[in-house]
Amino acid sequence: MRLPSVQCVTIRNENIMDLTRRQFLQMVGGSATGAVLFAACGVPEESRYINSPHQMPEDLVTGLDNWYATLCRQCTTSEGLVVRVVEGRAKKVEGNVDYPINLGKHSAKCEASLQSLYNPDRIDRPLLRVGDRGKGEFNEIGWSDALARITNQLQILQTQNKQNGFVMITDPLSAHLGDVTQRFVSGFGGRHLQYETIERTNISRAMKEVYSQEIMPDFDISNSAYILSFGADWLNTWTSPTRYMRAYGEFRQGKDRERGTLVHVDPRFSATAANADQWVPINPGWEGILALGIANVILSDGLVSDSIRSSLSPDDIAIIDQYTPEKISLDVGVNADKIRLIAHEFSSHAPALAIGGGSAAAHTNGLFNMKAVYWLNYLVGSVGVEGGVIFNPEPPVPSVGKYSSSFEDFRNLSQEMSRGEISALMIRGADPWYGLPEDSGFRRATFEVPFIFAVSNFLDDTTAMADLILPENDAFEDWGSDIPDPAPGYQLIGFQQPVVRPFYENLGDELGTKNFADIMIGLAPQLGLDLALPGTTFTEILKAGAEDLWRENRGSITAADFDSFWYGVLQRGGWWDKDSKYQGTIPSVSNVPNPKSPKFDHSPSQFPYHLIPFTSTGIGDGEGAFLPWLQATPDPITTATWQTWLEINVYDAEKLEISEGDVISVTSASGKSIDVLAFPHPGVPPGVLSVPIGQGHISGGRYSEDRGSNIMSILTPNVDEESGALAWAATKVRIEKTGEWMRVPKLENTFSEFPRDENQHIIKVTPDESSSDH
Amino acid sequence: MLPGDFDIQILKPTRKRVVLGLVALASTLGFLVVLGFVLTFILSSWWARPIVFGYDEGPDQPIAFPHTTHVQDLGMECTFCHRNVEKGASASVPAVSLCMTCHKVVGDDSEEVAKLREYYDLGKSINWVRIHRVPDHVQFVHDAHIKHFSGEGKTVVETMTNPDSQIFLEDAKKMKRDSSINPGDIKDIESSEVCAVCHGDVASMSKVKQVRPLKMGDCVNCHRDNNAPAECAVCHY
Repeated sequence: MRLPSVQCVTIRNENIMDLTRRQFLQMVGGSATGAVLFAACGVPEESRYINSPHQMPEDLVTGLDNWYATLCRQCTTSEGLVVRVVEGRAKKVEGNVDYPINLGKHSAKCEASLQSLYNPDRIDRPLLRVGDRGKGEFNEIGWSDALARITNQLQILQTQNKQNGFVMITDPLSAHLGDVTQRFVSGFGGRHLQYETIERTNISRAMKEVYSQEIMPDFDISNSAYILSFGADWLNTWTSPTRYMRAYGEFRQGKDRERGTLVHVDPRFSATAANADQWVPINPGWEGILALGIANVILSDGLVSDSIRSSLSPDDIAIIDQYTPEKISLDVGVNADKIRLIAHEFSSHAPALAIGGGSAAAHTNGLFNMKAVYWLNYLVGSVGVEGGVIFNPEPPVPSVGKYSSSFEDFRNLSQEMSRGEISALMIRGADPWYGLPEDSGFRRATFEVPFIFAVSNFLDDTTAMADLILPENDAFEDWGSDIPDPAPGYQLIGFQQPVVRPFYENLGDELGTKNFADIMIGLAPQLGLDLALPGTTFTEILKAGAEDLWRENRGSITAADFDSFWYGVLQRGGWWDKDSKYQGTIPSVSNVPNPKSPKFDHSPSQFPYHLIPFTSTGIGDGEGAFLPWLQATPDPITTATWQTWLEINVYDAEKLEISEGDVISVTSASGKSIDVLAFPHPGVPPGVLSVPIGQGHISGGRYSEDRGSNIMSILTPNVDEESGALAWAATKVRIEKTGEWMRVPKLENTFSEFPRDENQHIIKVTPDESSSDH
Repeated sequence: MLPGDFDIQILKPTRKRVVLGLVALASTLGFLVVLGFVLTFILSSWWARPIVFGYDEGPDQPIAFPHTTHVQDLGMECTFCHRNVEKGASASVPAVSLCMTCHKVVGDDSEEVAKLREYYDLGKSINWVRIHRVPDHVQFVHDAHIKHFSGEGKTVVETMTNPDSQIFLEDAKKMKRDSSINPGDIKDIESSEVCAVCHGDVASMSKVKQVRPLKMGDCVNCHRDNNAPAECAVCHY
């Protein structure tokens, strides 16, 4: 036993001056730690200098912040913002307390709009496609060259007299930009389609047919006593959530009023359902029939005033008489007693308000659903009264309709594109390549269009298909205006001003970004178009529009001279006139809409589940997927982020042995499938699956591409034949386990630890409930 | 062994003693390492300042800007260039374009002006070497201090002749080299006349240097002398 130790000593003596590996690593580690600590204690390099800038405008003083009022262009209804700018850099976004839409509040989308300005994936110069279409290979090109190429292509159309082969697809535009676009496209002889992933065709049609309104009315949530909402997740994503959420606070806890009651009808347990006093899960697509059932109870139980009853025609009463709660309860999936109870409460709490939207409007009978829901407001006398539906006046400046074109329009366009009838496609702010179902044919058809050019800041899926990309200024660098839709019950126009200088202006005139309207204004003379605009730049046009408002000498800002008025408008973020309310007549009760049941084409045995896609809280319908803050905004129900998940009823999941994080393949009747992460949830009715919209981009930058799955792509292109709207909630699917597993990225712990109250369940949905009801 | 010598019993290296010894050694080493870090922190935080236990010569600047010429000879007010000093936290250094309002035509024979024009022509900014700096956790607001010392009817407590002297204040101080002013006079004090309270007589410095320690003790003493609040959150917020 001694021998080895002797040998050991010998070896040590021989190597006494050598550095062992361990000693070397210790010394390196020690000296590195020392260096780091020493450096960390010192003054940072940048603090050793004071920068004396080349030019110093008044708003660039070191240490002084400036707050500029402008608009958020990430939200569907632009919210008024004030942006903190320090040394010429936008730092923080807050809600504009003056702006009537949001009154000082602002959404996560507004907050994240800073990340759009500073996004590392922003396109900073015009790009020309060099590889095959859709491969995303582009080369830099100067502005003059890019605009010359567009002019050239459009001039060819003019010489061939094929101006109708030019189509422009944009996001819904309003006010001055809408006006310029309209003049440009119609002046050229082309067509303008406004695209939204979740279109508002059925709702706008319902407003027209039920209330004879071209403009979306305001819902007076704050003064309402009882709200019955169908499908619209208005406390989270629908239409104007910040405004509605603020009103909801008043509705629940307003001073000198009783707490309002909210009942939400929805096949999905949404954030609005979670906030409601009662969530009524319904068989998808039967919302309109339920509304007729409620009307039936109100009429048959004498809950309606005589004047309203007398204004109903015998035909109307005959239709409603057919829909007794007992008769419809099996189809609708709601207990007859519950329908009676809701009808009694709805009619006895004046003013009561019925709102519809979301998946309720996205069935093959979506238009009927909307008409039936909004028609209910007549029955309880809530049309044109405080606490009900308040009509909006005409906007203060001429504005094109903000409503999106219908799915049918895009399907027709795709067919025209496939037939080679479209020669030039211009895209701005819209991503139909992402949002239209693959079966619509749009994706394939884009390969048939000879020339596509996109005005875009990011390489989204549609922009990636373009031959030429023109980068636009970010909203914080640019002028603009917006007429909110819906307006708050009176005339309002928001003005957007640049809060910082264009980020890429240092790249020179040939590179960098430009204003979209200025691009069109610049192209017009080359194409021989006279747009008859009141200015030569978009800024001048905006000022001319403001000058018209100043001459009217009314509203939130009046001034002796135009300059004072203009500064006042910019300081307050817009102009509004609380006295300019709807002046038209309140329409008398319209006819009861013709009942229509939802259609689901495919066999229940093959495709047993209803698929209800829903708009994501943060990234919306995919337009916000490039902003990491929005990606990280947790879904209010599941707390999941950054992924696409599948909400499935816990009992359904148990039967299929699906647990959270299992990768599930969802296949629609169109044969397309996507992979999603399972999220068994007690708040999902059996037989219904919910998947968030917004992920699964093919391109779009580091934060959005190759992440999650695009649920829109697998939808079967069912439409509401009456309106041409996409019935995006009418797809039936089947699911299979792929055998893979991935952790669902979420903030909350697993649902097994959810606190349960054995006597009074927070969420009561079991397969047994609906079966025992019938 | 010598008689009378203590019988030093050599301790046998038992396992316990070896372990105890090693523990003691490790603790001592650990203590020394921690002490080293603490000393490094303290010393480096001082050495990294422009002054090391005293008052250094001012550093060389990218352009040898002579405050003497501009303030003493031409009589320009401090606030002409440091425009934000009455408005906000930072006094601000002037933009190159402001210098060029005069130096487009003035100073053709000066090498330093030539440097300035080069900066301007290239559209570059100048990185001046910072002389007065408080740490990041301290908020110093210029306008509040200027407003305290300047204004109408201030009593002159002490006049300054030596730019290196530290002066303690009670009400206001006339720092301009003006022989006609004496302590006890009631004067209207301009903003530009009180900069020297902290910065010394910059007007007479060809190279600007720090004249006061601007350490916490200095701040607190001055606050106490002037009945200004000295709570933590006044500066550390």
